[in-house]
Amino acid sequence: MSTANDWMDGWMDAQRAYWQSWANLARRGTPAPEVPGNPFTDGLSQWWRTLAPMAPDAGKEVFDRLIQASQGYFSLAERFMAGADQADNGMKALDDWLDGMRGMWDDWSRAGSSFAPGMTGMPDFKGLTTFWDLPMDTWNRLAANVMPMPGDFTRAFHPDGANPAQEQINRFLSIPAVGYTRESQEQYQALARKQMDYLAATQAYQAAFGKLGATTTTAFQHALRERAREDKPIGSLRELYDLWVEMSEAAYAEFVMTNEYQTLYGRLVNTLLALKQQMARMVDQSLEAMNMPTHAEISTLQCRQQELRRENLRLNREIKEMRKQLDALVEQLATAPGHAPSPEPAKPTEAAPAPKPRARATKTTTSPTGATPRKSR
Amino acid sequence: MQPFDMRPDAVMRELMSYGEKLSHGMKNLMEIGEISSGVTPKTVVHREDKLTLYRFNPSAERVQNKVPLLIVYALVNRPYMTDIQENRSTVRALMDAGQDVYLIDWGYPDRADRYLNLDDYINGYLDRCVDVMRERHRVDKINILGICQGGTFSLCYAALHPDKVRNLVTMVTPVDFQTPDNMLSHWVRQIDVDQVVDTLGNVPGEMLNWTFLNLKPYQLMGQKYLGLLDTLDDPEALKNFLRMEKWIFDSPDQAGEAFRQFIKDFYQRNSLLKGDLEIGGHPVRLKDVDMPVLNVFAEQDHLVPPDASRAMRGKVGTRDYTELSFPGGHIGIYVSGKAQKTVPPAIGKWLDARS
Repeated sequence: MSTANDWMDGWMDAQRAYWQSWANLARRGTPAPEVPGNPFTDGLSQWWRTLAPMAPDAGKEVFDRLIQASQGYFSLAERFMAGADQADNGMKALDDWLDGMRGMWDDWSRAGSSFAPGMTGMPDFKGLTTFWDLPMDTWNRLAANVMPMPGDFTRAFHPDGANPAQEQINRFLSIPAVGYTRESQEQYQALARKQMDYLAATQAYQAAFGKLGATTTTAFQHALRERAREDKPIGSLRELYDLWVEMSEAAYAEFVMTNEYQTLYGRLVNTLLALKQQMARMVDQSLEAMNMPTHAEISTLQCRQQELRRENLRLNREIKEMRKQLDALVEQLATAPGHAPSPEPAKPTEAAPAPKPRARATKTTTSPTGATPRKSR
Repeated sequence: MQPFDMRPDAVMRELMSYGEKLSHGMKNLMEIGEISSGVTPKTVVHREDKLTLYRFNPSAERVQNKVPLLIVYALVNRPYMTDIQENRSTVRALMDAGQDVYLIDWGYPDRADRYLNLDDYINGYLDRCVDVMRERHRVDKINILGICQGGTFSLCYAALHPDKVRNLVTMVTPVDFQTPDNMLSHWVRQIDVDQVVDTLGNVPGEMLNWTFLNLKPYQLMGQKYLGLLDTLDDPEALKNFLRMEKWIFDSPDQAGEAFRQFIKDFYQRNSLLKGDLEIGGHPVRLKDVDMPVLNVFAEQDHLVPPDASRAMRGKVGTRDYTELSFPGGHIGIYVSGKAQKTVPPAIGKWLDARS
């Protein structure tokens, strides 16, 4: 009699063949993919890697996200199936795995989160940690757009007080700059300090997410036990996944409304921008030395140009108003009793100068953009 | 009892079905073609810098309200959300309700627009669009429908220029920016906005996307895509999903000075509600909003919590104040089937009774 494991092995072979056949169909002109070792998550990744170049732009990003989300879903399936032949229908295997994951999150938050589980040889948690790490992952992508360095560069640094090198670095950065290149040294010291500040902020943020991961894992385990106690067993993988999302979202929503998170988030954004600002300052100094226009100078010009446009709009509006008044006056004069009509009524032209005192008088009721807020009362 | 009631063969079938759906979806994706949005025919009536004012082509027999309606959308995201597809168009539903609809498209600001401030947007661009419409229709006042941040702008505009606004409708519009359930507001309190703008100039759209997605990261970046699987075999449903995705990630950069002012005055100081807001040197007082106001909000709005909108009650100067609550979310209020059937007709009816 075949066991569940035998059956699963057979299916895994079929799954492997399934993904492989899809890859074969799609790989025209692309390198042949390797047969996946892990039929669910790895197979999925490989399938998508093969097909992605052929996907139209309109939906490629969506499928990228779908595949990323599927990793978490398939990870759950793998863990569940690993213990499926056990008497407790997988609970023990899932429990052990979640315990392991919580331990990993604890280690992560204690270590200042200088590693990412998916990247450091902990394949058991790959997929799920990617899911829990979503906010940080997207932040790294964003930071990479703002900064001239890769989004995950912070993982290589350990700027916490626990790191003995930190004290040395701080001492080095505090050495007063002297000599002919004093100003330049100061700039580089400031840059290094701001870089360390950002790294510390990033790792504090990541560590907090490590803590959140551990909390969520515990809540997830409790929820599973609660379902067992209430005799409301989970009937499908999708239901299991949805419960997991629900737990994650609830724990996250609670955490991000705390003052702790507000401070962490503020520090993360502020230190990143301070670093970027220092870089821009140094780039400007180099440009100035090469006698090229700097960012600050262009910004000044943009500001002045905008002020001129506002002034221009305001004057145009005033001229329009005055022209209307003038037309009304001319009409009034023309129809006044005893007034001989002039052969060619005076009409203001584009070149007609605006009377200065009048313009000054209206200025008090006109906004800088030229719009005049008027109350109906 | 055990927490699971899943037989291995059933799980396998579920996974196989997942793979099949993914494969069919991929096939549909390859054939999807162009994703269009902004479906109702419209005409450009005014252009200025990056701004375009459109009039949706009215059919003579449908327009019963002689006072034109201007839709003022937010600076974040794009206004085609209001006309995203044939069967999900707030614009079309408003036209069906007899309104003559105009829409401001603010465009995509670039670095040359960095010094545009709220005065430029509200007393400048918006005011000039209103003037264009007043002139075209030979009316003193028009109707305004402001959406989200555009609703806040419209509210400020109505307070500053009450003589040009006949009726004001606000949709999912924040007035109290510091309600306890407002996640965005909680997050920005310690942000040094001056440093953000001084450093970046314009604020990148990606930064806003990141912020919005992080309001519900696991749903919006994970679960939502698994939900997509169930509709992947339907090309039309896939197209609709992709259209919505395009909109979500189509976030223009924000003109730096306007962003600075909006975050500091509205989110960090809550000045509109407190009554100490100034735009272009002019005080913005809610009690100056003396025209009829219809305040429409969504009960499950995670971006603008209903209390943030309800705060308008009792603060505006008008005696003709109405609230319309919709059982849905921030986006659902424009695009859900239920919203299409209820919200625009209700707005149309309310406007007709007052125009």
